[in-house]
Amino acid sequence: MTHKKTLNLLWLLLVALTLGGAYLGEAAEPGIAVTLVISLTMAFKGRIIIDHFMELKTANRTIRKLMRAYFYVLPLVTVLVYVFSEHFARLTML
Amino acid sequence: MLLTATRSEQDPAEGRIPGNKGIWAGILSEMTEFALLFGVYFIARAHFPAAFHEGPLQLSLFAGTFNTVLMISGSYFVANAVIAIRQNRPEVSLRWLVLVLFAACGYFVTKYFEFRWNVSQGITGRTGIFFTVYYYLTFTHMVHVLWGIMGLLWVMARTRTGAYGPQDHEGMEAFASYWHATDLVWLIIFPLLYLLR
Repeated sequence: MTHKKTLNLLWLLLVALTLGGAYLGEAAEPGIAVTLVISLTMAFKGRIIIDHFMELKTANRTIRKLMRAYFYVLPLVTVLVYVFSEHFARLTML
Repeated sequence: MLLTATRSEQDPAEGRIPGNKGIWAGILSEMTEFALLFGVYFIARAHFPAAFHEGPLQLSLFAGTFNTVLMISGSYFVANAVIAIRQNRPEVSLRWLVLVLFAACGYFVTKYFEFRWNVSQGITGRTGIFFTVYYYLTFTHMVHVLWGIMGLLWVMARTRTGAYGPQDHEGMEAFASYWHATDLVWLIIFPLLYLLR
C-alpha cells in the first residue's frame, strides 16, 4: 500500500475514533473502564500521527522515542490520576 | 527516475530529521510547555474531582469534537501537501495547503462560537477551577494554532512561487511537523477536557 493510501485509511480511522470517543463521553457512565478506553484511544491516535503523518516511524531515533514516549506517559498518567486520585492529591499538597 | 520518485514518496530516508533541527527544538519546547500545563490539569483534577466530574458536562461536546475532526483533517491535508511536492506537483500541493487553511480557520470559527456559547451559559475563566484550566489550555493551544497559520501562509507563498521541489522542501516539511505537533496536543486536550469525567 502506498503512503498516500495508508494516510487516507488512517484519516478515516482517526475521524471514526473521534466520533466514537465523543459518543462514549456522552453516553457512557464515567468509570475506570471508560477512562481506560479514552486513554488507550488517546495513545493510539497519537501514535498514528507520530508514526505515519509525521513520518517518524523511520526517522531520527531520538525524536521518535521522545514523541512516542509522550503518548505512553500522558495516557498512563491520565489513568493513574483517575485511579489514585487521593494519593496524587496528597503527594501534590503544598 | 520513476523508481526514485516512487521511493521518495513512499519511503523517506531512514533516520532523517523531518524538516530541520530548528523546528524540532521548537516542537519539543512546545510539547514541554504543554506537559507542564497538563501537569497543572492533573494536580487540579486530583484536588477537585467533583469540579472535573461536572465540568465537561457544561462544555459543548459538539464544538470539541468538531475541532478535533478539523485538527486531524488539517494534519491529513498537510501530509498530502508534502506528498504532492515530493511528486513535483506544486499546484496540487498548494490546493492541499488551502484545505489546511480552511481547517485552521474552521477551528477558530468553532472556538469563537464555543466561547460565545460558554458566556451565554455563564461560563468564564472564573466560574471554577475546571474552567480556569479549560481556558488556560485552550487559549494556549489557540496561540500555537495562530503561529501555525502564520507559518502556513509563508509556506503557501513559497509553494506558489515555486520555491519547493521534490529535492528541496525542507520548509514545508518543517511546517508540516509543527502542524502535526499542534494536532497532537489537541488530541490530548480533547479527551481530558471534553470526555473524561
